[in-house]
Amino acid sequence: MTAAHAGRSAHRAPEPLRRAASLVGNLLSRGDGIVGLAILLVFGLLALFPDVFVGPLEDITTVTGMRLHAPGLGHLLGTDELGRDILNLTVHGARISMAIGLMATVITILLGAVIGVIAGFVGGTTDALLMRLCDFFLVLPTVVLALILAPVILDVVGADAELFGIRATLLVIVVVIGLTSWATTARVIRSQVLSVKERMFVDRARVIGAGPGWIMVRHILPNVVNLIVAQAVLTFAGAVFTETTLSFIGLGDSSAPSWGQVLSSAQEAGAAGLGASWYIIPPATCVVLVVLAFTLVGNALDDVLNPKSAGRR
Amino acid sequence: MNVAYLVRKLAQALVTIAAIVILLFVLFRAMPGSPDRVSKNPNMTPAMQAAERARWGLDKPLVPDQLVAFIGSTVTGDLGTSIKFRGQPVTEVVGAAVGPTILLVGLGEAIAIIVGLALGALSGWRRGGLVDRLGNGASLVFYSMPYFVIGMPLIMVFASGLGWFPTSGMTTPGASADPVGQVLDVAGHLVLPLTAVTLGLIGAYSILMRSAIIETRAEDYITTARAKGLTDARILRHHAFPNALLPMVTFIAINLGYVIAGAITLEVVFSWPGLGTLTVAALNARDYPLLQGIFLLVSVSVVMFNLLADFVYGALDPRVRS
Amino acid sequence: MSARARWRPGRVVAALAFAASALVMALPSAAAADPVVLRVGTTQDLDASNPFNTVLVSGFEAFQLTYSLLVEFDKDAHPAPGFADSWERAADRVTFHIRTGMQWSDGEPADSADACFSWGLALAAIEDASYVGVGYLDPNVKDAGVTRIECPDASTVVAYTTDQSDRILQVYVPILPEHIYGKDDYTAIAEEKFDAPLVGTGPYTLAEWKTGQYARFVRNPQYWGPQGYEDEIVLRFYSNPDAMVQALKSGEIDYARDVNADQFEQLRADPRFTGVVGKANGFTQLAFNTYGSGTGETIEGGGPSTLALLDPAFRDALGYAIDKKVLLYRVLGGYGDAGTTIVPPVLSDWHVEPTTPRTFDIALAGQKLDAAGYPLDGSGKRLDKQGKVISLRLVTTSTSADYAKAAAFVKSWYGQLGIGVSVAVMDSSALGTLLLPSAGAKYDLELWDWMGNPDPNSLLQVLRCDAIENTSDSQYCNDAYDSLYDLQLTQTGEERHDTLAQMQNLIYDEAPYDILYYDASLHAYRTNRFAGWQNMPASSTPLFSYGILQYTLLTNAADAPIPPVAPATDDATQPAVPDLPDAGGAVSGRPVALLAMVAAVVLGAGVLLARRPRPAGADDDG
Repeated sequence: MTAAHAGRSAHRAPEPLRRAASLVGNLLSRGDGIVGLAILLVFGLLALFPDVFVGPLEDITTVTGMRLHAPGLGHLLGTDELGRDILNLTVHGARISMAIGLMATVITILLGAVIGVIAGFVGGTTDALLMRLCDFFLVLPTVVLALILAPVILDVVGADAELFGIRATLLVIVVVIGLTSWATTARVIRSQVLSVKERMFVDRARVIGAGPGWIMVRHILPNVVNLIVAQAVLTFAGAVFTETTLSFIGLGDSSAPSWGQVLSSAQEAGAAGLGASWYIIPPATCVVLVVLAFTLVGNALDDVLNPKSAGRR
Repeated sequence: MNVAYLVRKLAQALVTIAAIVILLFVLFRAMPGSPDRVSKNPNMTPAMQAAERARWGLDKPLVPDQLVAFIGSTVTGDLGTSIKFRGQPVTEVVGAAVGPTILLVGLGEAIAIIVGLALGALSGWRRGGLVDRLGNGASLVFYSMPYFVIGMPLIMVFASGLGWFPTSGMTTPGASADPVGQVLDVAGHLVLPLTAVTLGLIGAYSILMRSAIIETRAEDYITTARAKGLTDARILRHHAFPNALLPMVTFIAINLGYVIAGAITLEVVFSWPGLGTLTVAALNARDYPLLQGIFLLVSVSVVMFNLLADFVYGALDPRVRS
Repeated sequence: MSARARWRPGRVVAALAFAASALVMALPSAAAADPVVLRVGTTQDLDASNPFNTVLVSGFEAFQLTYSLLVEFDKDAHPAPGFADSWERAADRVTFHIRTGMQWSDGEPADSADACFSWGLALAAIEDASYVGVGYLDPNVKDAGVTRIECPDASTVVAYTTDQSDRILQVYVPILPEHIYGKDDYTAIAEEKFDAPLVGTGPYTLAEWKTGQYARFVRNPQYWGPQGYEDEIVLRFYSNPDAMVQALKSGEIDYARDVNADQFEQLRADPRFTGVVGKANGFTQLAFNTYGSGTGETIEGGGPSTLALLDPAFRDALGYAIDKKVLLYRVLGGYGDAGTTIVPPVLSDWHVEPTTPRTFDIALAGQKLDAAGYPLDGSGKRLDKQGKVISLRLVTTSTSADYAKAAAFVKSWYGQLGIGVSVAVMDSSALGTLLLPSAGAKYDLELWDWMGNPDPNSLLQVLRCDAIENTSDSQYCNDAYDSLYDLQLTQTGEERHDTLAQMQNLIYDEAPYDILYYDASLHAYRTNRFAGWQNMPASSTPLFSYGILQYTLLTNAADAPIPPVAPATDDATQPAVPDLPDAGGAVSGRPVALLAMVAAVVLGAGVLLARRPRPAGADDDG
């Protein structure tokens, strides 16, 4: 990610349609890209229409199953310690985990892109200050920050508040992931902006009298949008991963069972010791698959869109 | 290496640490009822509460008095008293947990670096070969697995299933008096969590190393070496590997900063008495002074290792300029 | 770099194999001369070795092992000789006779000066209207009505009391060595570290404490009572119950405290273990915010959201909408008892069942609400007498997952009556603050629990008027209840029983609390190393109940006359299973099969991903 991207010949921004088509084409020409996209397609569908596949989310008051029952005809993936159907939980977990991931990614990318573009384009003292700010956010330990921020956020918004159907307890996770991961994105985008800025067409635009805002939106942004997309996909992977970790250690919301939350319940129920592997394997597999898929697609995008950049974390 | 560069990096690190201390001050004061909550007790009369507040300096204005007092005590290493472990200073509680975490995660990092770099180098060198197919695939999968997902099956199979290793903890209390026995006791407890940490960390190193080797392989001097008739293995060992290692050094230094942040979920599933387990215990007890201490320790450690990375980078790369 | 970087795979493998074999060999290393160690697992970390600074059961267990109480507990949790071996009650005083010739574990004499010093700390704090440490022990002295303590000679302690109750025999104040801590007043003692090893008069003294790992206790040869079989006791702390149960199964520990219902059933089905259902001396309650009842006061911008909560008829009607059997089964897995009155059944001397019990009947609850003046509006929402839609805010805490489960049921059932419920789960200190009227007391329902002392007083006083702004979570105030409370303080025996029965019925009928269930604590232990396990008292568990007598009664399982087999006495404690799906989970497990599955997934994905090398790109060497 430290590659300077210098020396790439200047080119006009291609028309969006052709670009999207060639992007998908390039992506599909790569094995890992196909695998990743296929996995994401499946989980995307599950997340969008969980009710279609498994009916409404079961909770303790609506369960019909037996406690910790092994997979069978009635419950294909078995049940948890409350009698909830694991398949039902896992499919609904896709929605919750990915909703949190999406919101965290949006925050991360918005902050990261805006700050990265401004820092790279404006330069000078602004750049130096913004990069110090990045340094600061880069060192914040995600999990511990989440633990400290949780009560503050809950106090500000109220423990029973909701935003877009996401409960306040989950908002904590979204905010913390956003706060701790935008700085990486900002740095990557800034270095790209620096190289783009040097290119001729910017000078040309400046000569004909365009303002900085105009240049940023019309000339810089289109040239870093590739990078932003690739970053967004990789951020999504990180967000799902972090959400799982935070939920597992008890920051989640038991009434909104994300995969991490289900795994946390499994741990609390002692599923491993009880031999109830059906309780652990489905959500764990889903987390791994989704994180893997986003990583694959992100890396593939990165390679396709930015052929010179090395693989990143 | 340029002195001005070093001084500038050092100053930046100090500013970051100062900002962290101020952030902690703000967060800690913004918490509902804190730190008043710490001294809140239903049996206390208002007069006693006032006395208690005065004792902790809470009757003075936030800025500058309380802030100055906070910075002063933080700099002198006084991080307050733990709520969960009553009467014990935060520094002591945190200090006791640092060792086990460094043992587990530090060792895990060391093994993961060695194995990960070797695996990445081999994968990248023989791209598409057997090592690459299995190694790179497994690296990606383990890289996508949270620590506890790796750890839980290990416990089920090798500890409670086969009984080869203890299920949790770091020591058997009073198991052995002689040092050798104690070391072996800890080692036995270490095997499973260490395996999980290592597996979880290998991915990042091998994936990065793989792309570094692939880039290096295309360089001119490798072609030259090959033209000179050197064996493939020799080129990898003497030319490609050392060169690909250079960009890894900064990455490793930065990563080591996170050793102290530990592998929280892993420590929890193994009941490993390190900072991760302590963090979760502090969370469950809402022990904010303790959380504050852990936060400070972890972020300062990251800053320090970042600084180290900058120094190493400065030493290795002569092009670094102001 | 070249020489050092040279890797010889053969050598590495050999080294690894050697290391692994050394590790495996190191594990079973119990020599014949090793001390006998009782290893007890708990998920509750020890918080402090200073008795005045602990609020946790594990902390109470630790200090009771090390320090004797003036009066201890026998196996039925009744008063038994401790630091004092006898006592007499007079109208205004109790005279304790201290054991003669007793010594501290360091060999110093232990006498009445130690007792006067230790109780004196609590009394001095009470006199200053203050408290010692975290303030958990001194209320015992206050509650017993002790006003003054005297030590006329080395073997006599005289405590003066305001009433004739026997609560003075249940005072949880450890007798500390005056020759070590005598310089401390009640504030200084809270600052003491109590670093191990400690000097005590108990059967085992704290020898080593590794925070978050274990606390080790060694035999006290000076102990005044009969010596126990085990030489050492280790309390091991686990960060999760699963780790603890796995350790119990693998033989790393002998006793596990607080396992969950499913783990319990699995352990009990295994002949190597015995499971115990310990009835807790406490309950989980749904409290109604009744602020203003009896006083007419209101809180600006706070308090209950509807006046309906102040109406006993409203609360009574809602009582018919709670199915306690379902709660018991679904939340507690069937272990515990359905809740009724405010004194738990485990206090069998005092508990009574309500004279006019409520049953679960949603339709009836609706009719009662209609009759009490709370009709449904056109859209099916329940209205209060001011014509406002009733929508209740339930607050609870995250310390146990059970609360959120129970809250989900309350929400569902009240919802069927047209009453909306929003649930907020917060941490316990935030909840504790929220409940205070000075902080707004902005909630309608609260779901939390109380745990009591051997005497029911502590559970009864949370509903007193003067508990408001203190321990009250219902803001309930009723002068009739308060006078009954004061009356029972002066009574004993049958008289007190009748008063307590009146109080229990009054609270049941007025319903500031709906007691949801009486919790149970599920423990399990191995039977192959130690015998002589018994529950103390019978309704409770062997360890972590009242007193530490059990630790000295264990015997070597090899010497036991009857080989340890699965006890046939469990039927009485089988969970109550209502007309619901299967109680016991069909749990089966083959860890190796699981590993194979995981390995297959990992390998499969790996092969799949790596099957195709990447196409030649800009950075490819082709």
